Amino acid sequence: MYGASWALQMSPKIKINESNKRYLQRILFIFITYQSSFKQLKIRFIPSNDHTISALSETALLVSFDPVIDEAVNEKVIALQQAFVADFFTGFIETVPGYSSLAVFYDAVAIRKYHPAVSSAFDFVKKHTEQLIHIPGDIAVKNEEAIINVPVYYNGDDLDEIAGRHNISVAELIRIHTEKTYRVFMIGFQPGFAYMGKLDERIATPRRSSPRTLVPAGSVGIAGFQTGIYPFASPGGWQLVGQTPLKIFDRERSSPCLLKAGDHIKFNSISKEEFEQSNEY
Amino acid sequence: MSIKIVKQGVLTTLQDGGRNGFRSMGIGAGGAMDIFAMAVSNFLAGNYEAAAVLEINFPGPEILFQQNAIICLAGADLSASANNDPLPLWRPFFVKKDSVLQFKKPVHGARTYLAVQGGWQSEKWLGSYSTHLQVSAGGHLGRALQKDDVIFFKEENFSLTGDKTLNWHIPYKETEKIYQPANSIRCIKSIEWNLLDEASKQNFEKNEFEITNQSDRMGYRLNGSSLLSDRSTDLISSAVDAGTIQLLPDGNLIVLMADHQTTGGYPRIASVIKADLPKLSQVRPGQKINFKAITVTEAEDALISMEQVLTEIKAGCRLNFEKYFQP
Repeated sequence: MYGASWALQMSPKIKINESNKRYLQRILFIFITYQSSFKQLKIRFIPSNDHTISALSETALLVSFDPVIDEAVNEKVIALQQAFVADFFTGFIETVPGYSSLAVFYDAVAIRKYHPAVSSAFDFVKKHTEQLIHIPGDIAVKNEEAIINVPVYYNGDDLDEIAGRHNISVAELIRIHTEKTYRVFMIGFQPGFAYMGKLDERIATPRRSSPRTLVPAGSVGIAGFQTGIYPFASPGGWQLVGQTPLKIFDRERSSPCLLKAGDHIKFNSISKEEFEQSNEY
Repeated sequence: MSIKIVKQGVLTTLQDGGRNGFRSMGIGAGGAMDIFAMAVSNFLAGNYEAAAVLEINFPGPEILFQQNAIICLAGADLSASANNDPLPLWRPFFVKKDSVLQFKKPVHGARTYLAVQGGWQSEKWLGSYSTHLQVSAGGHLGRALQKDDVIFFKEENFSLTGDKTLNWHIPYKETEKIYQPANSIRCIKSIEWNLLDEASKQNFEKNEFEITNQSDRMGYRLNGSSLLSDRSTDLISSAVDAGTIQLLPDGNLIVLMADHQTTGGYPRIASVIKADLPKLSQVRPGQKINFKAITVTEAEDALISMEQVLTEIKAGCRLNFEKYFQP
């Protein structure tokens, strides 16, 4: 937040020292976010003793929480990601959320140049990350986003197999798949591919034993307790339940990705006619 | 000001330093495989490092110059010639209108970079000219160059005066710092290093690994003694980086290269240091490498050294261009 640091420098009434600067930056960030989004905000603390930080490469470190697919763990990941948006450092490039980890990419050369006294850029970024997790005023912002509605024409090639496996009808399978609100845990594998979950165990199904050589763009699939949408035609091993007419990834959009980690989505079943009328592929 | 592709090569693409800031959307940095050769070819052609260059593999394309141009080739020696006159690497060169640039045989290295004074005109997508093949964005129509493609370059920033000889080049000792010893690749231990059993940890540094034919801009698959992990290797997906060395379920290794996926589920046992990625990207299938583990601080120091070499070359090239040409 350039705005936050700028506002702090420009305001003579706030006395700034190192201990409250970070806190004030966060408050300002929350205020600005609130002003710009008008969405309900929830402020939380990031629990602090359940993570490890290690080098992914010499220009990226990885903060790892409990290695599980779990909403609460992923919330910590996204909270930390947002903390970096509010309070970044010279040489900061970007963060990449995983299910239970956050990678922090940085310009090691720039950090060593601006902080000649540090033993390594890795130590510098590690320290900054620890501060974000530990210091008082340890708060992060969570936007209570609206639930994104994703229409699906349930015509997938694996519907019968999944239903048969769980001893339910295809109609029941579709009902269960559309019932729950899913969390976008992370984006990866392909540009815009959202890993979502967790699925109801009544429909959770392992990957296909032999992956398909070509899965069409827009396919909605299931793998274990995960569900996802293929933005591009590609080989793939997920069990296919249907097809969305929505372009999940569009290079022409200013923000090409429809979904981001931390979003919530709900599928709704549409007819073949509705699919054909609205198909963006 | 343009060139025309007379004969198509294998995966000739426009590249630059890559795009940052979109990894969380699943869009990797991409960019030139050999960042050093890419930058130096630009400097020697009188550009800044961010101009687009052509990344050329063997068999290379045949390129017709429809106007005079100042060009520079850097990276692999693919026996380049202009109208059958050999073109040296790592030095600027003046090519006349109607010259045909060819690549006759690979001598050493895997890919070479062609920069032109003024820079190739191409599409910028998310801040970079690099070709993203999956999204079909960036570079020339988001794809590899084909026969009859015409690529434009900008008007020269410098007008030729007096002597047309461009007699400066990069001394061998400068490139040697980056590319030698050619088969020794430095890396740091990464997130899941400790999943390897003790024997495999030793074998990783002791044994040679061959680059297989299943190697491309996304990754290099290696062949060598397979490594074993102590525990189950089924991980939940998490971020990876260029240079990440993953352990596959069959015990073989893959090194992620420029066009890698942003996340993966295989153990990340080590990471090739950024300063050795140019060297690794010039190793060809069939050739062997060995890994040497160093500390994170040493890896940072190596990256700083490479940046220093580039800064010096940049300054030297600007000085020469200002001396020979009127701005």
